[in-house]
Formats: sequence, C-alpha cells, structure tokens
Amino acid sequence: MFVKFPQGATERTDKDAAAEVLYDVVIVGAGIAGSIIAAQLSEAGKRVLILEAGPAEDLTLRGYESYLDRFYSSTSKDNQAPYPASLAAPMPRGTDTRRIAPGAPDTSAYLVQSGPLASDTTYTRVLGGTTMHWEGKTPRMLPDDFRMRTLYGEGVDWPLSYEDLAPYYAEAERVIGVSADVEDQSFLGITFDERYVYPMKGLPLSYLDRMVAKDVDGMPVELDGEQTRLRVRPFPQGRNGIPNPAYDGGNGFVPQGAVSTYQVEVGERCQGNNNCVPICPVQAKYHAGKTLTVALESGRVDLIAQAVAYRVHVDPETGRVQEIEYRRYKRPDSKAFTTVRARGRLYVLATNAVENPRLMLASGLRGSSGLMGRNFMDHAYLLTWGLLPEVAGTFRGTNCTGGISDLRGGRFRRNQAAFAVDIHNDGWGWSRGAPMTDLLDLVDNGGRYGESLRQGLVDRVSHQLLLAFMVEVPASPSNRITVDPSYTDRLGNMRPILTYAIPDYTMRGVAYARQLSKRIFARLGAEDHTDYDPNFWGYATYEGQGYEIRGGNHLAGTHMMGSDPSTSVVDADQRSWDHQNLFLVGGGSFPTVGTSNITLTIAALCRRSARAMLTQLDREQAPVQLATAGAPSHREEAGR
Amino acid sequence: MTAPSLDDFVALSVDLTAFGETDLLGTGLGSPYLAKLRGACGDAVVTALFAAHQAARAESAGDPDGFDRALRYRIFSDDCLGPVARNVIKLWYAGTWYGLPPEWTDSYGAQSAAQTSTVTAASYQEGLLWRAIGANPPGAKAPGFGSWAEPPRIDDRYLKGARR
Repeated sequence: MFVKFPQGATERTDKDAAAEVLYDVVIVGAGIAGSIIAAQLSEAGKRVLILEAGPAEDLTLRGYESYLDRFYSSTSKDNQAPYPASLAAPMPRGTDTRRIAPGAPDTSAYLVQSGPLASDTTYTRVLGGTTMHWEGKTPRMLPDDFRMRTLYGEGVDWPLSYEDLAPYYAEAERVIGVSADVEDQSFLGITFDERYVYPMKGLPLSYLDRMVAKDVDGMPVELDGEQTRLRVRPFPQGRNGIPNPAYDGGNGFVPQGAVSTYQVEVGERCQGNNNCVPICPVQAKYHAGKTLTVALESGRVDLIAQAVAYRVHVDPETGRVQEIEYRRYKRPDSKAFTTVRARGRLYVLATNAVENPRLMLASGLRGSSGLMGRNFMDHAYLLTWGLLPEVAGTFRGTNCTGGISDLRGGRFRRNQAAFAVDIHNDGWGWSRGAPMTDLLDLVDNGGRYGESLRQGLVDRVSHQLLLAFMVEVPASPSNRITVDPSYTDRLGNMRPILTYAIPDYTMRGVAYARQLSKRIFARLGAEDHTDYDPNFWGYATYEGQGYEIRGGNHLAGTHMMGSDPSTSVVDADQRSWDHQNLFLVGGGSFPTVGTSNITLTIAALCRRSARAMLTQLDREQAPVQLATAGAPSHREEAGR
Repeated sequence: MTAPSLDDFVALSVDLTAFGETDLLGTGLGSPYLAKLRGACGDAVVTALFAAHQAARAESAGDPDGFDRALRYRIFSDDCLGPVARNVIKLWYAGTWYGLPPEWTDSYGAQSAAQTSTVTAASYQEGLLWRAIGANPPGAKAPGFGSWAEPPRIDDRYLKGARR
C-alpha cells in the first residue's frame, strides 16, 4: 500500500509563526531517528517541530523519480549521485576523498579531514536522511556487544543490555518493515520472544550466495582455541518481501510502499534492481520518508526545511536548552539566510554522529565530561575479491543478500576485532568499479569487440566474488569530531573536522580477515585478485602488510551513552547529562559499534527514548505562556 | 559529402558489438548515438569509419578470420579510427560517450560534444553490458522478486569460456 504524504506539508509551516510557538519537542534532522521520534510523540498528542537542513519538497513519486533521473544521467554513480547538492547544507561525498599527507589536513571538501587515515564515509542531507541511500541491512547487535568491557576487557559496556533493548528491536523491525526468518537470525546469543516472527519472510539468497555456500558451509575455523564452522546466512533486510501471516499473533503485516501525495502502485516487493545503494528505484527499500509521512499525517508535526541549526542556546544557570537558533536559506545555492529561533520543552538532536557533536561544539558546549565529539566510530571495511571457477551470475539481486556472521562473536574478541562478512551481489563494483572498469579494460586494452568482448565480459564479470569484511572499531578518544572557526561553510556554520586512525585491535581483525579470505578462496577454487594499492587514500599498514580500508557510513560514538556522567555524554535514554531537556540521539550514543549495521539499533534506541521523552514531558508539565496567542490556532488550521 | 546514414552506423555497430540489428534498433538509441558520434568527431571522421568498415567487409568476402584481420588493420590500429571505433563499442555497452584521448583531439580537432557524457537517462538503462552478463542495469529493468536465486540467463555459448 502506498504511503500518502499530506499535500503541502513541507510548506504549511511559516517559520516566523513557528518561532512564536513553544513546541513540546523541537527535533533537528528529518532522518530515521528524528522521524521515528516525531511519529511516536505526535501519536501521543505532542506538538513537534522538525528542522531539516536539506532542501525539501512534498514527497511525491514524481519528486522521487527526479532523484532517479539524476542517478541515471550521472557519470558517477556514487552514494550521493541521486541527491541534489546544496551549498547551504553540504554533504560529504565519497568521491571527494583524498589521501592525507602528514600534517596537512584535507580541507577541500565539506568534511575537513585531519587524518592520519582518510575516510570516504558519507551521510545524506535530504528528507529521509541517509536512509535514502542506505543498503538496508538490519541485523540486531549481539548480547556480547553490550558488555565488551566486562567480557573481553575491550571497549566500554553499555548502560543497557540486549534484553533491555530486545522489545524495541521488535518495534524497530515493525517500523522499518524487516524481511527475515527467526531461524536464520538466532545465533551467537541473539534471542527472540517465543512466538516472534519478523514482519516479512526472509529474502532468498542469491545464486551467487548459494554457489559460495556449497563450498563454504561447514568450513572449520579455529580462533583463540575455539572451534566454529562457517555458514552462509541471509541478512535481515529493511526492504519489502512476502508478509508473514503469523506476524503480530496472526494479524499479519501490511508493507509500506512508495510515498506520494497521490495514489501510486509501486514499492511493494523488492524487484531485484541491484541498486539499494544509492537509490531503490521503486521504494521497496525502507527510507525514513515513510515514517516522516506518518508523523506529518498526525497534523501535530510541523516541518521547516532548508533550516540549518546554527547554535544551541542554554541557560547558564540551569543548563537547560532555551532555544535553537537556525539559519533558513531561500535557495540551495543562495548565500542569503534569515536567522530564526525554535523553542520547545524538549530538544532532540537527530542529525548523525558527525553533525550532532559538530552543532554542540559550534555552540561552545563541549560537555562536562569533555567527551563531546570523541570516540568517533565507523566500521572499517576490508574488501577481498576473486573470480569463481563457474559463472555465478554476479550483478543480480539486492546489493547483498547473504554473508558469514559466525565470526561476529567469540572469545577471540579479547585480542582482535570481530567482523561480519558480506557476499556482494555487485561483484567488484565497490573495490574496482566493476563492471564498467572491466568493459573499458577489455575494449581499450584487450582489443576486444564483438563476440570476443561478450565472452570476455562473461569471463571477467559473471565470475566475480567480492567479500566485504565489516570490522568493528572500538571507541578511542583520539578518534573525534571537532570544529574550528577557520573552517566554515557557506552559511557560516563551522564544518566538522574528522581525526581518525584505525586502532591496532581493529587492524588485527583486518589482518585475520585477509588470511581467512585466502582460505575461503582456496576452498572455493577461486582466483584471488585482491591487490591493495599503496596510493589508495585509505591505505593502512599493519605488521608489514598493507590494506585498503574503506568507511562504512556507520557513524557512531561521538556522544556516547553511559551510567556515569563523568565518562559519558548521554544517559541510557540518550538524554544529555548536562542539559536535562536535550536529547542527542542516533549512532553517536553507541558505546560500541559491534558488527551490526547501525540503523536498526538507532531505530530501537529512538523508540525507547521517545518513551522517556513522553514521561519527562508529563513530569515537567508546568504551565507555560505562549508568546503569541494566535500561533497555536495557525498551526492547527495548517495541520488539516 | 552525404550525411552518414543510420543504416551504415547500425551495420558497423552489429559487427562491433555482436548484438543483432533488432537488438540495437530496439534500444531506440540508434539515431541519438549516431548524432552523438557525429557531434563528437565530425562527419568526415564518421564517414571514413563507415567506409573502412565496408572496405573490410568487401575485402574479407565472408571469411571471419579475414574480416577480423581487416578490422584490426583498417580500424582498430588506425590512429584516427581506432579510438572512435572503441568509443562506439563503449557507447553501446555502457550508454556513455567517453571523451576521446588528448592525442586524438590534438590531431583531429576537438568538437563541441567531445567530452564524457551520458547521451540520455535511457542510454544507461539500455547499455548492452547488462544484457551480455545476464543482468539488469542496476536501478532499472527490474527482473522481479526472487529472480536472483535462479541461474543467470546467459547464452550457453558463453558459459564454458576459457578464462584468461
């Protein structure tokens, strides 16, 4: 069923009138975190204002197709290719990444990088945020991931356990609409309620996955004295499949299709476009626009786009946030802006683990723990690639349907990082730009044309196998986001500065991953074509071996949660220790990033935090005078 | 000089791509691609390319090995025609016109449409590359739910190829 976007919702809120309203909650960011919280709070009758930095129009199929057309017509098909760039709210772009010379930060793009390791990590600043380009894997974190300090003496313990979060995982799986089967996802301590089923049945493994599984299933691995056997296992996916009739005690599940102001008939089951990143052409893949629409439908949520938060103002006496000052620009390419304020009983920063601390630090709010912006985490991706002996039909399916999850946990984590392994259905695309680079090489250097070209393409491309090892990165205070007044963007906002190095713990996992990949290729009878270029921007060496390390866009850790205000920035509800009416939400709250793609856990945490916000709003229900008596009626009219 | 004809362009393209005339015309891109080629290289070069192709055909008189040699001698090894012919192959396979190398434009002139560009949004979707590997262009022509679990639809004659 299509998701009906309320017509005019992106324009119905007048910024000047909104400035005179005291909202229950002001949310910065219309991505998945902000949208989930807005939907949940408005459902409970609360009034919400969302500020979105990116340009925004009503979500319609026609608007979505303009993303798609930009993607088709773009010569670079990177993560941001479909999305309009705004000079007023710039986005990091993978293609901007440069190798960093020691002592010379790369300031050429929006994200300033002081290294030593460069990262191509990105996020998308449009309605729906980075879920517009996300791939859509939705694994839960392992119970062990929440207790890393206790179990392995590495990293930090969460103030929450897996059991605490499990009910919210189930809620998040409903919001996103996850396709998976419990029997495939119960491993390494992950448990489900007895009668739980995912909203939709698992997506089938690809032909390529099955070819790998034929030889890899049962492969023995011994690590730190523990024996395990590998198995190719499907990933849970945030995309529509076949609804499970047993869901919700037999009530079933209705998938959310495409979003539009008018009726459309797309967005049902995944069609295998093999283009989850950077854009699912039919919206079978979840994006936060679906949840944002639910929030806006309530009539209690106002949205102001092209509104870049500039400064968080706090009361020096109480530490409470008084207002968020933002800069509203007229056109994406304009330098001109108006300064506006937004006020609420509660404030939620729901941008991401780069922009949240950027805004806090730009506001002079370093945090009493001194940890604001510190402990930046991402996943370190190591790619290995080879050619299978038989035609595997690479380049079909979703970007990734299966992989190896057996080394996500184990005793070895006292010594080295764990990882999940993706089998990429898009071949060497990520590592070497296949299949276009293969085509160019065969034609320009191979003298191929006609039949010999067609044969060459099948030989070179349809045998491709790429394993992506998603390696955990532990919290390290020196990996951090900072700001500096000498680096600002067009609106005068301080740009984020990333300082990033891969800890040895992770590099030990990387080195092990490379060795394991050689064994896997040998078992498959595959030719190993992995070759790491010393001039690559993410080239890192460990014990004499060099590796290409890529970013995962899994931004985390910069406002870590904890139970002690001196060693964390937010509490288990994602509430700031220093500012009692401020919540910093998203991956930034994670104390560990584990080996799970972060979005499902962000969604679960936000579902949980929204409850804490409702409790706090009820508790703090002191009478408040509205500045202008006319303002509330304005918004109620507009909301219909 | 008469303008280069679509018929000559398609005849050349069939030999360069190993896709049939129906396949090529079925993309709807024959005319836009010929226009792109003329805009990027100029009619004199395009006419010379078509003439070389026809001469190679005539010279080899149906012998495949002779035709291959004639194409290599007359077109692929030619400073002017070689890069253009390779670009025609890439145009059909990728839907992108790649900028000609600087040594080519130094010798034969830079035309207005010489830079790397997609021809239309449809040209990416119609790239022959995807058909050659039994896949859909990522983001278009979806093959349907679960189709990825089945073996790829690649002609049998390519399945046992000797990998290099």
